[in-house]
Amino acid sequence: MDFFISLFSDPIGFWNSHTLLVSQIGINGIVATSMFLVLYSGQLSLAAPGFMAIGAYTSVLMELNWKTPFVLNVGAAVLLAGVVGFLVGLPVLRLRGVFLAIATIGFIEALRLGVILNVPVTGEGLGLKHDADPLGGVPIILVSLLVVLFAVWRLTKGRLGSAWSAIRQDEVAALSQGIFVARYKMIAFVLSALIASYAGALEAHLNFFVDPGDSQYGVTRAVQILTFAVLGGSGYVLGPVVGATLVTLLPYIFEGAGDYINIIAGAFLIAVIIFRPQGIVGRGGLAIVRPAWWPRTRVSAPSPG
Amino acid sequence: MLLRLDDLRRHFGGVHAVDGVSLEVEKGSIQGLIGPNGAGKTTLVNVVTGYTRIQSGRAWLESDELTGLPAHRIAGLGIGRTFQNIRLFKDLTAVENVLIGMHVRRRDDTLAQLGTLPFFRREEKKRVEEAYSLLETVGLPRSVGERAADTLPYGDQRRLEIARALALKPRLLILDEPAAGMNPSEKQGTRELIERLNADGLTILLIDHDMRLVMGVCRRVAVLNFGKKIADGTPEEVSTDPTVIKAYLGTGGEREVHSAPGATGVDEVREVEEAAASSRGAKEPEKAILDVGDLTVSYGAIVAVRGVSFRVAAGEIVALIGANGAGKSTILNTLSGLIRPQSGTATFDGLDLANARASAIVRRGLVQVPEGREILARQTVLENLELATWARRDGPSVRMRIDEVLKRFPILGERRDLSAGSLSGGEQQMLAIARGLLARPRLLLLDEPSLGLAPQMVDEVFRAIEEIHREGTTILLVEQNALRALAIANRAYVIETGRILLSGSGDDLLHNPAVRRAYLGG
Repeated sequence: MDFFISLFSDPIGFWNSHTLLVSQIGINGIVATSMFLVLYSGQLSLAAPGFMAIGAYTSVLMELNWKTPFVLNVGAAVLLAGVVGFLVGLPVLRLRGVFLAIATIGFIEALRLGVILNVPVTGEGLGLKHDADPLGGVPIILVSLLVVLFAVWRLTKGRLGSAWSAIRQDEVAALSQGIFVARYKMIAFVLSALIASYAGALEAHLNFFVDPGDSQYGVTRAVQILTFAVLGGSGYVLGPVVGATLVTLLPYIFEGAGDYINIIAGAFLIAVIIFRPQGIVGRGGLAIVRPAWWPRTRVSAPSPG
Repeated sequence: MLLRLDDLRRHFGGVHAVDGVSLEVEKGSIQGLIGPNGAGKTTLVNVVTGYTRIQSGRAWLESDELTGLPAHRIAGLGIGRTFQNIRLFKDLTAVENVLIGMHVRRRDDTLAQLGTLPFFRREEKKRVEEAYSLLETVGLPRSVGERAADTLPYGDQRRLEIARALALKPRLLILDEPAAGMNPSEKQGTRELIERLNADGLTILLIDHDMRLVMGVCRRVAVLNFGKKIADGTPEEVSTDPTVIKAYLGTGGEREVHSAPGATGVDEVREVEEAAASSRGAKEPEKAILDVGDLTVSYGAIVAVRGVSFRVAAGEIVALIGANGAGKSTILNTLSGLIRPQSGTATFDGLDLANARASAIVRRGLVQVPEGREILARQTVLENLELATWARRDGPSVRMRIDEVLKRFPILGERRDLSAGSLSGGEQQMLAIARGLLARPRLLLLDEPSLGLAPQMVDEVFRAIEEIHREGTTILLVEQNALRALAIANRAYVIETGRILLSGSGDDLLHNPAVRRAYLGG
């Protein structure tokens, strides 16, 4: 609880001692928004960590080897991720649901285990170290988050967004309305790749270090990002960001739990999913949903006779 | 000609779902397309709208060739459609559903979205206004606009789907069973809507399985059976065509009646209701093995069965007849414990079917042979039968039982080692019945045993049913092929939109003029 007390009692001190945490929330928020885009168009894609890796390695390698300016590095990284996203999307987006999820996991693991850990220029298992954070800290990350959020929010309100909604609800019916389903799925997938790679590039610079571990660019990260969306709710742009904030803060919220932190945090997540299946930000204000099997609400079966 | 189909073909494996169909739809007309269950109507629609690839043949919409185009392009060219089992965007509001229908006509505003907001608001406002007026066109009040599509009553969902299709500003509107599951007054509303849309200049292709609605509104009607067009003409020509009557009623049908069932319109059902009021109904048996009282079953907002009561005595064959969507299969599924009733009672030999588990119901001797047969296509005939006895512990007697059943259906005995999927439709139906017999039923529920079968196979299946009955099994039969069902039934109930309209002995109903016209053909 010390964490929250200091937030109110000493905001300036809190800010100074937790800039890294705030930045991480911002970056997770951007990744969560990239997840939102694919889910909004009805695609259970877990490819985000792969695109983050592309963003991180491309931008940091350019900086280390060519000393090119930061903006150019990030721009190139994002562009590359977009191209890779398109190429990966061509075969993979024919799949739906769990099959798409597994195929995208295949993509991120192939990238991490097959490319990153095997190509000398990436530093293989040791990762990459670089010296300076050219970002000037938190502001650029938070501004990026706001810009991405705004853009995605506006897109969901236009023609593109209405096509995505239609596809998410019923692909067959969307076709009957003249919607080119394959194209709009691809647009969402590539946009989400751009956003995820941007977040990856920012994160690499924030951390002074690019770590090829599973928790960074592997399945563990993919599941974490999916958790952002499930917890926060994927019906509104803000949902996954709220989820990302909460998940990032979990260790602080349950600070007192010590070694049991993971058990407590897990129980909390399960509780949210049971009582708020639509996520924290979703239909029905903040009402708590009582599951049908909850004992007190059970309606007695119609009596015979 | 607005739509022209030339020798379209689509086969699934050995099934000729669409087998060389040519059809022309005149601009400004309402063209009907009918045929019994499984005739290939929906497959034809899917082929025309690009959902299923054309194998051979060509299709045009005016001068635009549709052959080989993907579904979204065909929609964009101006073919709007609805779906047999409503496919709305369920969580979106009614207005949002209609707005999505405007996708093709709407200019791409992706960049404008990021910048100028007022421009967008103006356009959006115009679109929303148009969406509301489309809702009004199909007879939905403005107040419905903000409601999520899946919270609307069933009839309104059908109307909303039509409004969404209209938002495309289609040249041709294809309605796939728009009146399925509706009661007579809702059907009348649908009919009026279709006529109104047509009066405004829209060309409509109307698909339905029975003739009642189609005959009322269409100037021309085409009839499909087994993927082939068997007739094409005015409603009068088609309904008196012996081939059509045969397709609907089976062999011999054309000798007994002069027009296909339901050929003279919606009002007939009212006549049946009047006849019901005056007739005394069938004598219900005193001692019943199955006793159903005031049974009501619903699926969400749709009430499929409304307060149905009937009894079946041991040794009888009882038939439930009525059009598609009347609630017949729902009644059977409720009796065998697959669906739970909302209210009412059902007892079989002292067992409370409303609450008993499905497995307990089977053990008591009530066995259902489901519609569509549901056999395991990749297993052999013998394996299908063995799997049905999988839960039984008494190995040797099971063996004997299988041998007995195979003896009853010699054709299955011959094919015991062939995969079930390679059997003909009739043989598959025999297998499904044989599987049901393994459970030693005292009451056998048969759901549409003649579905999709060629006439001579229907004869064979019905002969088998009569034999099983003679050997002492009570039978409750659901059939669309009412003529055949009534011919073997001791008693029958006529079901319309979830209620029993009329009951009587098979003979009585067979000769009741109102029933004949509404359900059997006059």
